[in-house]
Amino acid sequence: MANELALSDVKILDFMWVMAGPAATRILADYGATVLRIESPTRVDVARTLHPHHDNQSAPDSSGLFSNCNAGKLGLSLDLGNPAAREVVHDLVRWAEVVTESFSPKAMRRWGFDYESLKKVKPDIIMLSTCLFGQTGPLSSIAGFGSMAAAISGFHNLTGWQDRAPCGLFGAYTDYVSPRYTALAILAAVQHRRQTGEGQYIDQSQAEAATHFLGPAILDFSANGRIQERMENADLQYAPHGVYRAQGDDRWVAIVCKTDDEWRALCSLMKRNDLVNNARFVTAAGRLQHRDELDGAVGEWTAVLAPEEAERLLQSRGIAAHQVQNAIECYHDPQLLHRGHFVDVEHPTYGKTTVEGPRAVLSRTPAKVMRHAPMLGEHNEHILKDILGYDDEKVATLAASGVLG
Amino acid sequence: MTTILAKSRVLDLANERGQLCAQVLADLGADVIKIEPPGGSRARKLGPFYNDEQSPESSLFFWAYNRDKRGVTLDIEREEARELLKRLIKSADFFIESEQPGYLAERGLGYDQLSKLNPRLIYISITPFGQNGPKMSYADADLVILAAGGPLALTGDDDRPPVRLGAVPQAYLHASMDAAVAAMAANHERVRSGLGQHIDVSAQQSVAMAAQSYILSPALNSAEVTRYAGGVKLGPFCIPLVWPAKDGYISLAVLFGSALGPFTRRLMEYICERGFCDQATRDKDWIGYVELLFSGTETIEEWTRVTEVVRNFTRSHTKAELLKLALERGFLIAPVWTVKEVVESPQLAARNYFQEVEHPEHGRSFRYPGPFVKFGATPIEYRRRPPRVGEHNREVYRTELGLNETEVAELERRGVI
Repeated sequence: MANELALSDVKILDFMWVMAGPAATRILADYGATVLRIESPTRVDVARTLHPHHDNQSAPDSSGLFSNCNAGKLGLSLDLGNPAAREVVHDLVRWAEVVTESFSPKAMRRWGFDYESLKKVKPDIIMLSTCLFGQTGPLSSIAGFGSMAAAISGFHNLTGWQDRAPCGLFGAYTDYVSPRYTALAILAAVQHRRQTGEGQYIDQSQAEAATHFLGPAILDFSANGRIQERMENADLQYAPHGVYRAQGDDRWVAIVCKTDDEWRALCSLMKRNDLVNNARFVTAAGRLQHRDELDGAVGEWTAVLAPEEAERLLQSRGIAAHQVQNAIECYHDPQLLHRGHFVDVEHPTYGKTTVEGPRAVLSRTPAKVMRHAPMLGEHNEHILKDILGYDDEKVATLAASGVLG
Repeated sequence: MTTILAKSRVLDLANERGQLCAQVLADLGADVIKIEPPGGSRARKLGPFYNDEQSPESSLFFWAYNRDKRGVTLDIEREEARELLKRLIKSADFFIESEQPGYLAERGLGYDQLSKLNPRLIYISITPFGQNGPKMSYADADLVILAAGGPLALTGDDDRPPVRLGAVPQAYLHASMDAAVAAMAANHERVRSGLGQHIDVSAQQSVAMAAQSYILSPALNSAEVTRYAGGVKLGPFCIPLVWPAKDGYISLAVLFGSALGPFTRRLMEYICERGFCDQATRDKDWIGYVELLFSGTETIEEWTRVTEVVRNFTRSHTKAELLKLALERGFLIAPVWTVKEVVESPQLAARNYFQEVEHPEHGRSFRYPGPFVKFGATPIEYRRRPPRVGEHNREVYRTELGLNETEVAELERRGVI
């Protein structure tokens, strides 16, 4: 018998929406967890409205972002504000080991689905709440997106050019950081429950989790009192360290020399013996001090090369370099293709759609994308009848109440 | 306190690429032994440094990701050192490494070799491009991985080169976290099967998953997205996300569609009420606005004028005033804070986020980012500052491996440890 997926015995009742939360349970679904996702039939999941869309046309199931965050899950449409939702939720809580939600604080309490209430239904339930700033504190009520958390956590101010406004990180950056911590916290709590029988409540602030990705800058302030500022493409250690123009329209190559040997190899490649012998550039400290001059020389050399050719030449000398890949170049990147990064899954509306693959290769229990992201209410019947054991009459009554949308 | 992994031993051979993975396992209670080459990890050469003193004991980059680990030195280029490592492997639950693919296997320390000594071992490899494929042996750096995985192309001003993601290297943090989650999944499975496995994480793939799924645009035949200072450029038009305030900058999402359009509508109502625009501007179809732009019904020039209206509004308020509006009216506004403002944030203070970690040799404590989540039953507690080079050599080699003092001293003398 083939090995079962790693998390084949983990059941998650997932109330999360938009990006950060669903991205976390997607990871766990790939590793085999059964993730049963509740979606409101009245309030559209923002992720369904976000780019990229199939054929650039926004439709209920067109969003690649939504697919990417929700592939492999089961979907139940349920209006949590409808009194008929209560019994269904309680039955699902009895089924689940973990409940997750990513509304702004208070929403679950308003519906009567907060931890204290659900614990009465199932004393050993694990519940995780994730939101921008956590369940408590003066900013806890701010609703919004990862682009806002990235701004308020210090990422934006550190990114860009010194003579201009910060350009900030791309998109909702903390939504790419925090799901990894969310998934880790869930697995940790599951392990604790299996060891002790004890459930618990987990309060995640996405901003707090993401602050670890600025750890050295935080310590630079707390230890040295230094307030780091935008560094452009410079680095604290290495020079050259930059993004250089290559042949073509908006084509660039990233190059980093980490050692003096690599710097000498670069000079030889550029046929610039004058630079090798220039005393100012012999050490990293000297190169850092004169980085503008270096960047000029490197940029002059790359400007007449195709970026992939520059990458090939530099890598053949052991110098870290890569063309700056946009989405199309990533989509055709031989390495990403070799690694199976893009996974096609069947889709009822589009025939097939494409999502990113699992986040790690597990040798004995490989992760797997089981199915496309659920359409609204796609698995209502399966969930209500097969998982909860409701009979036809009960399902019909629920449908008539409007709670399923 | 967290005892979830209290019975687990992690051997952390990761260099500057994979440090965060073992740190989060330590947060869950694991006993992590960091194994560095004599003289210390390459990560200790990376700044910033405490008091700007470039010593292996002063790297804040090292401190940030090696808390709650014990530290030993071991020169794995030497056979007798590898024998010591293999003895430690027998009682280990996790082994984390971040060498180029093949490097450890050539030295008898690959997954196939170590799993024979300990079939329960979860062996975690964190590398730039993964264990296989045409680029598996590429030289790497943070900037280079960000270039290969997609986020770099999307970051920066459209009239200048793409620009690095902040001032702290990001790629291996994403990869380390993906590795830690996979390790916990494998650990969960090990309870059933009694067996370990090999986990292979590619930092290129990890950062590909840090660009909002735009990497899927070609597969879906969707419009390409390109970089635009503080926002996104979608086809022909630019959507700013960073806006000027009187005293700095803010993040503000002026977005459209059925979910986000209503936020923009409420913002425009307020802007109109305050006299920054006329009613016609206020009453545009903010839900269907993207379609209006794509169809040409709304011109790019008109959208540019609208952004100027919003800009005039934000620029006439301070960051604090705008944050107050976000709280009171539910606008999608957050201030762009400096590191100092983050550390002094009333929100983080109210939640007791930052943790003081004592460094007795400096006679003071330092403020570290706090627990990554608040566990109700198993709160994360920080136990010790990052180790000094070889700090726990005696503790580990004597207590764990049963060597006597003469033997340890001899290993030290010959540079094995």
